[in-house]
Amino acid sequence: MQVFKAFLQVLKHKLSTAFVYIIVFFVIAIPMTINGNKERIFEATKLAVCVFDADDTPESHALTDFIGQQHDLVTVENDRTAITDALYYEAVDYVLVIEDGYAEKLENGETDALFSSYRMHDSYGAALVQQMLDRYISTVQAYRTGGAELTDAIADAADVLTEKTEVRYAETKNTAVLSPVNASYFTYMSYILISVIFSVLSPVLLTMNRKDLRFRTACSCLRPNARTMQIFAGSSLFVLVIWALFTVTGILLGGGQISGLAWLVIPNSLLYAIICTGIAIFVAELGVRTQVINMLTQILGLGMSFLCGVFVEQSMLGEGVLAVGRFLPAYWYVRLIDMLRGAIPYDAGEAAMCLLIETGFAVVMMILSLLVHKQFVRAKTNMN
Amino acid sequence: MNTVIQIENLVKRYGELIAVDHFSLEIQEGEIFGLLGPNGSGKTTTINCLLSLLAYDKGTIRIFGKEMTPVSYDIKQQIGIIMQNVAVFDELTVYENIDYFCGLYITDKARRKQCVEEAVAFVGLEEFLKFYPKKLSGGLLRRLNIACGIAHKPKLIILDEPTVAVDPQSRNKILEGIQELNRNGATIIYTSHYMEEIEQICTRIAIIDKGKKIAEGTKDELKHMIRNTETITIEVLGLTDDIRRQADALPHVYKTAYDGEHLTVCCSGGKHNLIRILDVLQKHDIGFGRVYSELPTLNDVFLEITGKELRDQEG
Repeated sequence: MQVFKAFLQVLKHKLSTAFVYIIVFFVIAIPMTINGNKERIFEATKLAVCVFDADDTPESHALTDFIGQQHDLVTVENDRTAITDALYYEAVDYVLVIEDGYAEKLENGETDALFSSYRMHDSYGAALVQQMLDRYISTVQAYRTGGAELTDAIADAADVLTEKTEVRYAETKNTAVLSPVNASYFTYMSYILISVIFSVLSPVLLTMNRKDLRFRTACSCLRPNARTMQIFAGSSLFVLVIWALFTVTGILLGGGQISGLAWLVIPNSLLYAIICTGIAIFVAELGVRTQVINMLTQILGLGMSFLCGVFVEQSMLGEGVLAVGRFLPAYWYVRLIDMLRGAIPYDAGEAAMCLLIETGFAVVMMILSLLVHKQFVRAKTNMN
Repeated sequence: MNTVIQIENLVKRYGELIAVDHFSLEIQEGEIFGLLGPNGSGKTTTINCLLSLLAYDKGTIRIFGKEMTPVSYDIKQQIGIIMQNVAVFDELTVYENIDYFCGLYITDKARRKQCVEEAVAFVGLEEFLKFYPKKLSGGLLRRLNIACGIAHKPKLIILDEPTVAVDPQSRNKILEGIQELNRNGATIIYTSHYMEEIEQICTRIAIIDKGKKIAEGTKDELKHMIRNTETITIEVLGLTDDIRRQADALPHVYKTAYDGEHLTVCCSGGKHNLIRILDVLQKHDIGFGRVYSELPTLNDVFLEITGKELRDQEG
């Protein structure tokens, strides 16, 4: 078991990369996973608005009260520097100055120069307040045109505009068998599996396959099959430990409540880990440099995650992106999880198809690795 | 003496190129056999064929009386290989590296431990056992490379240019070590394009060029194959063609050359050649500076047989 022991010793030296990925994953993914568990509730946004009333009339007071019902009224010193600072530090979103003569202009049906304001340029919040003021003035004017007194028009406009609209998310039939925590975690797990397995296993295999070491081993009485089997055993052990670590953590994070069809995440993630192993072996057989492996880790990890719906739900992705994603294993991995979490209806046939396609990817990667390996051996024997 | 290696009519082609051309060789037990030839002459290809790491087109190879094939593990058990490049794991310590390579031959832990300790002592790496290869100097790395190749106590040791890019002090230690391994009973095959090393340690030598064995024998036998027995070089100024021709006409002189500063005279046999040449110079009242007399080297052998300098071929 010399090769197996050497494999583990080389692996020990490459594990620091894995630790970085694992720590970053747990630090980022766990809070995201827990947040993903929150029930989706609509909440109206309230902005911080400061009002300077230069008109100081019942009409201007009514406007201030109206704003207070819609947003949070805050106080800022009436000084240009103080106002600029408050806006810069986002202590206030909008500073409204009700100009002197506001009530009189409103009475006469004038809408120009009623207000002035301080706001951050291109601020989304400021645009929202501005829109609200425009609607308020328009509504008051509409009531006035209809013959209402100004006082009544202001009261009616405030009544109409403060009316709440109930917002609810469209409900679909809940077919989820996987908790939101587990669903989020196992989705993100595809990224960490490829990153850790690829960034650690490929460099270890590259070392084991180094031409001079391979040559020296070939000169010994160790049979090539025994060497291959020992490297395979080392790789399998590493991948199984990594997969088990992430899977058990995921189950524990979800409170250990996995039952029924939710157990499909186990073969799903295991198959995905095998695919990652196949990719790592294939790249190592190609004999690329370590720097290239670091680059490929990012390209494969992030690329598959973005194209296949790991970071952004598949339902939010464009058809073009999904068309590319279907050629990648992560797409089928995520699709099965989407079924289990109820994002798309569960279909046993389609779930089996996802697992079969993943198996296909694993088999193809292993065959490709074998072909490259055989090509390498043939070239070595004929062309030293 | 038993024949350890028997190569008959070995041919290895790379497409149109013939890397090893009908090469035959016999090496006896206890020899230090030198394979001398310029880079690209086919030394390493021959070694790779010998180890069955490379398929060859024609010929037979027998080691320890048995045909060598890729699955001749009983033969491989008795062979140690030390390559030009230091082939060790950067991630394993000195001890772990030697133990790893020894373990490819010896599975018994207690015996392996003993072998590893003896190999460590042999190359003098006792103080560096826990060092990683990257922390070792070039000379120490070479010693580690050797320890990895000999720890399992092979009967046949193949060293493929083990002193390339090694400082003179380490080179001497390596050469002394090889001689000690030989004294301990190992048969050695030593390939190099450094003729001085081959002359220093090898009991028998084969010279290879363009995949062909062009000469074989002990160093004295090789030197007797050529006409040159002595090359005399004299620092001399203002030598005329007439005087040079007189030197050329001396008995046993078969070639002279003059470059304006040095007169080179090649002699074939005979005694007192130097005195006779100096007499010619004295007769014409020609002053001379330093005088050198050199016995033929393997380079002269190579030069005379192939018409080119061995060193010119170094890549």
